[in-house]
Amino acid sequence: MKVTYNWLKEMVDIDVSPEELAKKLTSAGMEVEEIIYQNKHLHDVVVGRIIQIEKHPQADRLVVCRVDLGGGKITQILTAATNVFVGAVVPVSLEGADLVNGVKIQKAVMRGVESCGMFCSGEELGIDENYYEGAGVNGILILPSNLKIGQPIEEALMLNDVVYDIGITPNRADCMSVIGIAREVCALLGKELKKINLNYNIDVYSKDTVRNYVNVDVQTENCHRYMASAITDVKIERSPLWLRARLNAVGIKPINTMVDITNYVLIEMGQPLHAFDQKNINGGHIIVRQAKSGESINALNHNTYELEEDNMVIADEKGPMVIAGVIGGMDSCITDETKVAVLESAVFDLKSIRITGRKLGVRTDSSARYEKGVNVANAELGLARALHLVTELGCGRVVRGVIDICNKKNEAREVVGSIKLINDILGVEIPTNEMVRILNNLGIQTKAYGDKLNCKVPPHREDIENDYDLAEEIIRLYGYDVYDNVNYKLFENATITEGHTHPRLSLERKFRNALIERGFFENISYTLVSGKINEMLLLPDEEYKIVRIANPISESISCMRTSLAHSMFQNLNYNLSVGNKDLRIFEFGKAFRAKSLPVQELPYEDNMLAMAVCEDGYDFFDLKGVLESLLSKTSLKYSLVRSKKSFLHLGVSADVMDENGVVVASFGKIHPVVAKNYDIPDNVFYCEVNTQYLADLPEKVYSVAAISKYPIVERDIAVVVDEKITVGEILTSIKSACGNLYYESYLFDIYRNNSLGENKKSLAFKIRLSDMNKTLTDEEVQNVVNKVLKALSYKHGAVLR
Amino acid sequence: MLLEDLEKLKHDIGNEIDKIDYSIRKSLSEIRVKVFGKAGYLTTLSKGMRDLSADERPKVGALINKVRNFLEEKISAKEKDFEQQELLERLEKEKIDITEPSREKIGAAHPISSVLDKLTDICVSMGFSVVEGPEIETDYYNFEALNTPKNHPARDMQDTFFINDNILVRSQTSAVQAREMEVRKPPFKIICPGKTYRNDSDSTHSPVFHQLEGLVIDENISMADLKAMLTILMKRLYGEDTTIRFRPSFFPFTEPSIEVDVSCPNCHGKGCQTCKGTGMLELLGAGIVNPKVLEMSGIDSKKYRGFAFGFGLDRTAMILNSINNIRYFYRNDIRFLNQMK
Repeated sequence: MKVTYNWLKEMVDIDVSPEELAKKLTSAGMEVEEIIYQNKHLHDVVVGRIIQIEKHPQADRLVVCRVDLGGGKITQILTAATNVFVGAVVPVSLEGADLVNGVKIQKAVMRGVESCGMFCSGEELGIDENYYEGAGVNGILILPSNLKIGQPIEEALMLNDVVYDIGITPNRADCMSVIGIAREVCALLGKELKKINLNYNIDVYSKDTVRNYVNVDVQTENCHRYMASAITDVKIERSPLWLRARLNAVGIKPINTMVDITNYVLIEMGQPLHAFDQKNINGGHIIVRQAKSGESINALNHNTYELEEDNMVIADEKGPMVIAGVIGGMDSCITDETKVAVLESAVFDLKSIRITGRKLGVRTDSSARYEKGVNVANAELGLARALHLVTELGCGRVVRGVIDICNKKNEAREVVGSIKLINDILGVEIPTNEMVRILNNLGIQTKAYGDKLNCKVPPHREDIENDYDLAEEIIRLYGYDVYDNVNYKLFENATITEGHTHPRLSLERKFRNALIERGFFENISYTLVSGKINEMLLLPDEEYKIVRIANPISESISCMRTSLAHSMFQNLNYNLSVGNKDLRIFEFGKAFRAKSLPVQELPYEDNMLAMAVCEDGYDFFDLKGVLESLLSKTSLKYSLVRSKKSFLHLGVSADVMDENGVVVASFGKIHPVVAKNYDIPDNVFYCEVNTQYLADLPEKVYSVAAISKYPIVERDIAVVVDEKITVGEILTSIKSACGNLYYESYLFDIYRNNSLGENKKSLAFKIRLSDMNKTLTDEEVQNVVNKVLKALSYKHGAVLR
Repeated sequence: MLLEDLEKLKHDIGNEIDKIDYSIRKSLSEIRVKVFGKAGYLTTLSKGMRDLSADERPKVGALINKVRNFLEEKISAKEKDFEQQELLERLEKEKIDITEPSREKIGAAHPISSVLDKLTDICVSMGFSVVEGPEIETDYYNFEALNTPKNHPARDMQDTFFINDNILVRSQTSAVQAREMEVRKPPFKIICPGKTYRNDSDSTHSPVFHQLEGLVIDENISMADLKAMLTILMKRLYGEDTTIRFRPSFFPFTEPSIEVDVSCPNCHGKGCQTCKGTGMLELLGAGIVNPKVLEMSGIDSKKYRGFAFGFGLDRTAMILNSINNIRYFYRNDIRFLNQMK
């Protein structure tokens, strides 16, 4: 919301500088986001009169001008402009000027003749034809000849205001106006709001009344108030400079008297107005109603909108003229030929305006105010102010009588607050008289009785309802700096509570540390991905139902990821593309699956850990080791089975399965087609782990068995078996054959050679045995080994090598 | 005669031992044989004892022992010396190039999780419990239960990603507050960290980002408690000399609502590029829980009061690690993560 210092000054006796006022507004919650000085690029530019023009002796295209700068000062300026003439009053930028287009003025000698400055065009002063007549011409801005010679240009063009851009919070719709901010300024400076001139002239002797021009029917409850006046003898002209200056300062293009008045009142009073050309209101009958399905309107922004029943319109007997509160229509708007205008000042339901604006994708200065809420009392204020301006500008005759249909009462409300509660909420003691003073300054008439604050809240402060609201008003004007430099004790008056860590986040922290030690880098990726995710990972849509965003920014981030694999593979691809190599990455995060489509209830959110490695020499068993080390931190009892994950290589992948057959983790080499889809190498290894499942397991409990006093003895055996026999099967057989002498056994070599026979391999195992009561003798050990060999031969067809 | 021979032997052999240096260390064992061997000097001289009188014997015997001990010690000392030198020589030979690389690789945590770990530790130590909620949320918990009904102007404060009319991707971790208030009995203190989503993407906004929300509900909570708690949190995060300041603001679920400015950890309040010369950074939103929100969640607002605060983890990580581009977080470039080691 833009307002200007001078505009506010017209409403309040401001006795502080623009900078200080900005600071005070910010401290009270009206955050001044920017201070714009209109004259920033206008210093050293003055009004001058050309008194003589001569040809340049050395240059055909230049002329030498003698310029009167007033006060007896005459200077010489060279120009190539062709629209200058003797007697012309022009803006003259002198040495030191720093124009808006970046030009800095210095004295210069051009082909032997000195030039002490430059004449300016409108563009060089930052203004256009809408703002000032002649500012749009190609050449020098020729000013009215009655301007005072020598006066600073910022004064002559009324470009000397200070503009504040203020961030208005959604609860303060009443501050979407100069008057709203002015009320805050009053409270901050302890001043009264000046009386706003709402007087206008009507011909009391005329029998002509507004009813002769328009009748209004309100047929929808979304219209809270509808006021209308008629203006005859309308003269559409350029507005006076002071009005154009105000609009220009707050970023609104001046157009003509009627339009400018409506915009002026919109900014000043926060009241949107609409002016109709009376002759285009069919039947002179305004009907405020919900649109009928199938109706359409050709709007002022040259778009045609198809309307629905939830759009409110201002219609005549033929059809919609205006989308209520949002945008006017082409056919009924005022034009240069308008003779009689009907001025609307209305209040509409904020939800209705909001829904319409969203649906049609239109946002205007009007709808921006309506959708935050305009108070019904405001319609009257806005209309009167507009009629005052009509009189003042002499751009029409106001007809007697005002149509006013009001369906919603809004009067001052009583709110009773407790002084003790307010101080308890704030945690500081604010003197009662201070509370009363602050609230009164805000226009909330307040009296204190004992612990009670009796407050009469004016209609425009709909946000104030209870002690908490009063507490906020009091503290923001009393000043939050009361809390500065005070050392409060932590939870002095609070109950002691136990702090609990989050089980899954704690487990993730353990895993994270372990993975970092193993050379992995943690990633965090967008959980929003492309809708192609399932296709790229070969995931079946039936099982991995994709949750889609209804209003995405772009296709690449339009869906919730169904698997972390997508993020991992994309991150590998990105890193490889920028020349990073030997990549070990991991991420904790969620994978999302809809329970049904279209989405009707909250989807599944699976907390996962994903890891991926792309590194020469890294293989399945390296990643298996990493996974085993992570799982060892949990109480999971598991076995490995071949994985069915679509994006993994079916021969080089495994699932970690718990005792109930639940898959807790999957890992292995990437599927070659998936590798191609992500444009990453085939030898990528990937692993994902359900961290929520692991965090839900009971904590790992240790129960230590007795250790033998006697040393471990070991034997090596090598057996030749078929390729299809797994190391896991053989190790299980060895263990059971060793009985209770078994300590451990592991594979230490695999050898493959044609001499072993077709599809055969030789496996070498270490068998380590231990007895609780004695050192095992060679004979006892040999007996065990024989048993093992017999079992392997019997179960797996193994032959001792 | 014998005595003289012994003295001479002691003197001559002693000299000979002294002359042996490390390069001819093998001659030491030759001397040992020459003196102590079966046919060595000392053995031979000892044999001469038999020819001596009973008077002389002890005297000569004592001298023999003295000479033996003397030479023995001298040889041993030399031998020890040489052994020491040999050992040093061997160790010297085994010298390796210590600048060759190790075979261990070291990774790094993502800066956002490092920050979260740090914050979690601080908050748990102050009696907060860590809770989570779903990232895909109902409109009710994300907005309505937080005093932001449908079509309320406050919905403009954030651009939300919707799945449908009633389900959305949460735009704030405050959604977890509403859920927890329904199931927890006051008094309690919780923090809710997690991913949040907004339809907003530029150099300082990411459509996916992280927030941490805190909520305390108790009987006598005030703005002063909020000040005390946040002061400690910010000091532990940004350093002991950190100060905080309140400014008025608006959130539908708190009343009064404030923005919390934190003294710039980069310049300690003097003004620098990070804080755009103001000395303060606008880092948190906070306030006293709006009694309407308590009532909606079934908490008696006459009995209980609370405060809530929330802030961005991305921004925190950016400040703590001097990161100036939010996109670095989600691109996961190893050249970025490597700097987090």
